[in-house]
Amino acid sequence: MKRSTKRKIRLGVLYAVLAALVLGIVLSANWADIKTSFLNTDTMKALWPDIVLEAAKNTVLYTVIAFAGGLSLALVLALMKMSTVTPYRWLAVGYIEFFRGLPALIVIIAFGLAVPLAFSYNFPFGFVGAGVAALIVVSAAYMAETLRAGIQAVPKGQVEAARSLGMSSGRTTVSIVLPQAFRIVIPPLTNEIVLLIKDTALLAAIGVAEGQRELTTYARDMMNLHSDATPLLMAAVFYLIITLPMTRLVAALERRQQRAR
Amino acid sequence: MTRAIEVKDLHKYFGENEVLKGIDFFVDERQVVCVIGPSGSGKSTLLRCVNRLEEPTSGTIIVDGVDICDPEIDLDKVRSRIGMVFQSFNLFPHLNVLDNLTIAQRKVKGRSKDEAVEVARRNLEKVGLAEREDAYPAHLSGGQQQRVAIARALSMDPDMMLFDEPTSALDPELVGDVLAVMRNLASEGMTMMVVTHEMGFAREVGDKLVFMDGGVIVEEGDPHEVLGNPQHKRTQSFLSKVL
Repeated sequence: MKRSTKRKIRLGVLYAVLAALVLGIVLSANWADIKTSFLNTDTMKALWPDIVLEAAKNTVLYTVIAFAGGLSLALVLALMKMSTVTPYRWLAVGYIEFFRGLPALIVIIAFGLAVPLAFSYNFPFGFVGAGVAALIVVSAAYMAETLRAGIQAVPKGQVEAARSLGMSSGRTTVSIVLPQAFRIVIPPLTNEIVLLIKDTALLAAIGVAEGQRELTTYARDMMNLHSDATPLLMAAVFYLIITLPMTRLVAALERRQQRAR
Repeated sequence: MTRAIEVKDLHKYFGENEVLKGIDFFVDERQVVCVIGPSGSGKSTLLRCVNRLEEPTSGTIIVDGVDICDPEIDLDKVRSRIGMVFQSFNLFPHLNVLDNLTIAQRKVKGRSKDEAVEVARRNLEKVGLAEREDAYPAHLSGGQQQRVAIARALSMDPDMMLFDEPTSALDPELVGDVLAVMRNLASEGMTMMVVTHEMGFAREVGDKLVFMDGGVIVEEGDPHEVLGNPQHKRTQSFLSKVL
């Protein structure tokens, strides 16, 4: 048999397997039930426009707050981890290892229920405030490691050049090292935003009040109200609408960075 | 003549490894001193000790009459008066040429933006790159980057310049432009300490040549003498390989 004929047969088999799989899924699905339970147009209409004005808006809002807070805290932790003062390094390492090792869900529940009980402290904005604070605390642990890697990826010669011009160590960090480090970590940080968007769904575990609900909490409440799963599917679509541009952006940024090298 | 740099009994260890084994060395004001030697001889370490990018293990280093190892001195201030040029240029890649030249003037010397830009433009003119002030380092050739780096150091109005193998990372055809700028500086009376492999430059421009090997100064003197009639065996063997 000719080599090109062999190749055609191999490709043909691969396509046939794929087609069989798709066909199998389509045929075995119960389309009538899917339509009433997941694609119910009455439920869709009932959710409009709250799913955008309350749920999607809050998902984005909580993500932005958690990211901004997490990044600021991460910067402090990253600088502490590289500090020459040993107790600062220990503190940073302890913090990072602790919160990276715990499921975000447990931290959220702890902030929502345990902290108010143990310290008689109530977070502003109730459960949502506690949940977003927990997201800040957890994401900071991840981003601190990313930032530290970015800072250490700035060549040593940059620091030497700045110091030889008479810049102090602090000035060198602010004017020379951090601007370059942030460029290096833009793709991994964008990735971190995508993870945060999805982690806001964990707020559903502590239950947030009406008006403060993000997509998952809202979808769950609406599923109970309308007794069908259409809100869940709609929430999923909205998550994709928010995350897909971000993941595409990460890919584009990574391509650009590779070209720049 | 006044001493610009005076090094006395300098020792430097990297861990267990002694890379400088008691160096006595000086550069007079308005002098150009070239330091040559095989790699690992400690010549770059000696140069980097002069502005304390490397911390000396023991010994004294006096720059412009100031003991730079004295913990009481303001090291940043001392460094701002010693220009340094690196083998790998080390321009700031996130800043354009003009900002590379003005950032330290403004943040360290406290110059106004207008003043810093004026000084920067004058020095870019001097290195022949006046028209590239908006370019980013990545868009310049190695020779252009090194000339910008020299202009950046000059913009701090240094009393002396240290060059750490300034042409070693350059393609051969770009070396000439950088050496021309350095020659020019020397003729203006800049005090210079140059670690280099450019024997031609050392012979023509240098007032003194120092040959180092194994962490010690093996031989020093007039460049024509040292290069033409080396006294020490190690100098002879090194020069026979590079000349």
